[in-house]
Amino acid sequence: MSAVVAEHEHDHEHDHHDHGPAKGILRWIITTNHKDIGTLYLLFALVMFFVGGAMAMVIRAELFEPGMQFVEPQFFNSMTTMHALVMVFGAVMPAFVGLANWMIPMMIGAPDMALPRMNNMSFWMLVAGVLLLASTLFMEGGAPASGWTLYPPLVLQTGKALPFAVFSVHLLGVSSIMGAINIIATIFNMRAPGMTLMKMPLFVWTWLITGFLLVAIMPVFAGAVTMLLTDRFFDTSFFDAAGGGDPVLYQHIFWFFGHPEVYVMILPTFGVASTIIPVFARKPLFGYSSMVYATAAIAFLSFIVWAHHMFTVGLPMAGELYFMYATMLIAIPTGVKVFNWTATMWKGSMTFETPMLFSIAFVVLFTMGGLTGLMMSVAPLDFQYHDTYFIVAHFHYTLVPASVFILMAAGYYWLPKWTGHMYDEKIGKLHFWLSAVSVNILFFPQHFLGLAGMPRRIPDYAVQFADWNMISSIGGFIFGASQLLFLYIVIHTIKGGTGEKVTDEVWEDAAKHGLEWTLPSPPPYHSFTTPPTIIPTEHI
Amino acid sequence: MKKTKQLIACLTLMAIGLGSAHADYALNLMQGVTQVSNDLYDLHMLILWICVFIGAGVFGVMFYSIYHHRKSKGHVAEQFHENTTIEIIWTIIPTLILIGMAIPATKAMLELDDVKEAQMSIKVTGWQWKWEYEYLDNGIHFFSSLDEASNKARQVGSGVDPRSVPHYLLNVDKPLVVPVKTKIRFLYTAADVIHSWWVPDLGWKKDAIPGYVNEAWTSVDKPGTYRGQCTELCGKDHAFMPIVVIAMEKPDYDAWVKKTKDELAKANDVSDLSHDELVAKGAEVYAKNCSSCHLPGGEGVPGAFPAISGSALVNGDINAQANLILNGKGMMPAFGKMLNATELAQVITYTRNALGNKKGDEIQPKAIQALQGGTAVVESKAAEAPKEAAKVDVKAKLSKDELLAKGKEVYAASCASCHQADGAGMAGTFPAITGSKLVTGDIKNQVALMSNGKGMMPAFGTMLNPVDFAAVVTYTRNALGNKVGDMIQPADVQPLLAKK
Repeated sequence: MSAVVAEHEHDHEHDHHDHGPAKGILRWIITTNHKDIGTLYLLFALVMFFVGGAMAMVIRAELFEPGMQFVEPQFFNSMTTMHALVMVFGAVMPAFVGLANWMIPMMIGAPDMALPRMNNMSFWMLVAGVLLLASTLFMEGGAPASGWTLYPPLVLQTGKALPFAVFSVHLLGVSSIMGAINIIATIFNMRAPGMTLMKMPLFVWTWLITGFLLVAIMPVFAGAVTMLLTDRFFDTSFFDAAGGGDPVLYQHIFWFFGHPEVYVMILPTFGVASTIIPVFARKPLFGYSSMVYATAAIAFLSFIVWAHHMFTVGLPMAGELYFMYATMLIAIPTGVKVFNWTATMWKGSMTFETPMLFSIAFVVLFTMGGLTGLMMSVAPLDFQYHDTYFIVAHFHYTLVPASVFILMAAGYYWLPKWTGHMYDEKIGKLHFWLSAVSVNILFFPQHFLGLAGMPRRIPDYAVQFADWNMISSIGGFIFGASQLLFLYIVIHTIKGGTGEKVTDEVWEDAAKHGLEWTLPSPPPYHSFTTPPTIIPTEHI
Repeated sequence: MKKTKQLIACLTLMAIGLGSAHADYALNLMQGVTQVSNDLYDLHMLILWICVFIGAGVFGVMFYSIYHHRKSKGHVAEQFHENTTIEIIWTIIPTLILIGMAIPATKAMLELDDVKEAQMSIKVTGWQWKWEYEYLDNGIHFFSSLDEASNKARQVGSGVDPRSVPHYLLNVDKPLVVPVKTKIRFLYTAADVIHSWWVPDLGWKKDAIPGYVNEAWTSVDKPGTYRGQCTELCGKDHAFMPIVVIAMEKPDYDAWVKKTKDELAKANDVSDLSHDELVAKGAEVYAKNCSSCHLPGGEGVPGAFPAISGSALVNGDINAQANLILNGKGMMPAFGKMLNATELAQVITYTRNALGNKKGDEIQPKAIQALQGGTAVVESKAAEAPKEAAKVDVKAKLSKDELLAKGKEVYAASCASCHQADGAGMAGTFPAITGSKLVTGDIKNQVALMSNGKGMMPAFGTMLNPVDFAAVVTYTRNALGNKVGDMIQPADVQPLLAKK
């Protein structure tokens, strides 16, 4: 995108600002500009999406048929572990941080992020962390193969990779915390006059809440993995029963981090959906304040439901019941959100450009993931569902056609603003339909597999699971291949797209919904050097 | 769009084609063969239908809107953006639905957790990558691992079609055998990492965790063979440690118990074998127990599993090697608990004289037994216990005074240090015996609590013999300020005690 911004500087004579970017590769290494860093985050996330996706392809290829065809079981386990870690920490989280970097200053009328140097550092620590993690693939004993949850005692059997993986988690944690602090500081200090908290776009709100989640949970995860490290190398026994420790303690700590962590990936998703749907329904968002409160309620609940990941570890009855009831409660604020999106579409004047298509698919498919989540919140039923493909189907529905689809929607929605070029709508729609159909071929049969008794995280299975696995794999291959279209579209749009000149608004009446549409496309290097005077309130 | 349609058509055809090939498209949870599994199935269906109706409602409204309220149809957007009434309604209705779900869910949870009054107990220990079963009532004890045929077929590039293997990956060498219509309590633990024991037909899974003992129960209604798998990732062969439960009618089960006991007795034979016999049999033991980590050729996996070929340990002092195998180290399990002396002698001799090693020596089963010493030999311990028990005449009827006198001694030795000599207990820590509701209530409840323990209270069922137990129960009810007036005989206590 460097070409784009440079070009913009020649094109728009109203950009009088002296500070241009540094020249050449150095621009990207030393940049403190929120857009450049946002671009780095987004491109890095896109690369990692394909790396993690390639691992998923290995998994689906091995599971295409019963019997072991391509990889050894240990490597398969490394693949499931690394696929999850790369997708969570390398793709989805950085992509949302990238969106936050690009959009939050533009949405609240600020010139840049509050802490630009830290912004640069948090990006490069992310790169270091992910590269360190990826390097474990080539170490003696292989990459971690104990699942992304890194449960002891199994994880302590990891070969040479363990300390590297732990340090990588530390780096990723520090990076996330710095990113979160930056976002919180920006939102609290850099809003334009008149941009009160309850006038902020929902994307900003959801990120504010996500920021607090991250600051709260990442140190917990860092602590847990550090205890793993000392258990392995310094003879402590935090999680070793033989030394008076407790393997289940790790699970409590991990899921105290891990459950809010999944909301770190879904809350900004809600924010983007709440931003896009009103624009294409040509209506204000329904129930703005209830959306804000529902987000806060979900975030709060996410801290007190962790042991629903542990119904079968032998919790006391009171624990089983408490965590069941608390988990069920999440359905209420989540339901409010889904109803609000539906009510936003209701009696609107809808058009179905690619961002809207992805957003509608998100609402539908996320709701399906939510409903299966409701099923497994019922503790006694989780004694059947737990650790089967039913769970795999559930969380992939809440991550792929939810978070990933919304990231795609965000890409289509804001690419014209970022680049000043229009993407090819036909290819965009093709990408959408291929993705939407294949994602269901991929994940829907996994519900059946799980209910029929197929455990998760296995490289080989009994022959009665063969048929649905083959269909799931076919869906997976189509889904994987379809994403190459997205890569093409991104490159094509950066290079000039359809050649159509995009307006500042890009989408019909978009400026009523967000400040970013009052800026030129592409926007100047520093977003709002003087604060905007009119705050759009259509989204409220 | 056209391409998408073609694609869907193509996939549909493919699905139909596959379906006619083996028609095995299981869609739903199995109902299973126990009361619990049936109740859970009903609950599952109830909640599934609730979800389907919610989904249909929401999506119905959404798709109606998508179809009718579009710009291309000339629909003009209305500008409403809140409605307190409807927002309250769609908060309250889901809350009511959730309460409706929580009630049957709570009932099912309580049913699932009720391990009381079990008629027999089986201890299940998860190992990498096999299950150990111990019948606590009759001493039967064995390991259960993936069957030979599946194990051969599941190797990468084995060339064996899994479809040609009966019950591929769901078959074991020694299945768990249980009687039908009997309440069985399972106790779960693990020797190395966390495992989870799941047979879908029974309706639940339970984690087996090192250092923990988890409980679960079942009572199988229908004779048959029920298959399941480990469901907690436990390392590279996690997919290859299935569970097979065979439920039999009571007489068949009793016959199986007798037969299995005889076989186990035979396995304890420790007579000497020739060098060649040791090596030949050792190859089988190696293939079954060692090769999944150290590999069939003994080359190991660098960084994870040391090589056997050329290993300093294997080519060094034979007793040092035997000790390591017996007691384990790090990831290496303690095979002394898994294999008998003969099998151990065979595999040790084999590793020293095969897989590229040519040490030339051997070890005999008796030498292994000697290394295991008195403590590790399970049989001798088991043999001592009945002898000691024999001294105690359980059938003898004792008078109340005899029971009280004996009970006083037992109380002083086993109870008084916590509950105090006068039965007053210590407020907040150790409950008083004097006036205790439990002690003055149903005698069976008191026996059950003393036998199984609770919180800080140890399980005395495993510590006291039936005579001492009956005596102390009678004592507490008729002394220390209590005057219930009843008594219990050793013969009545014995069936209620927790088994060793």
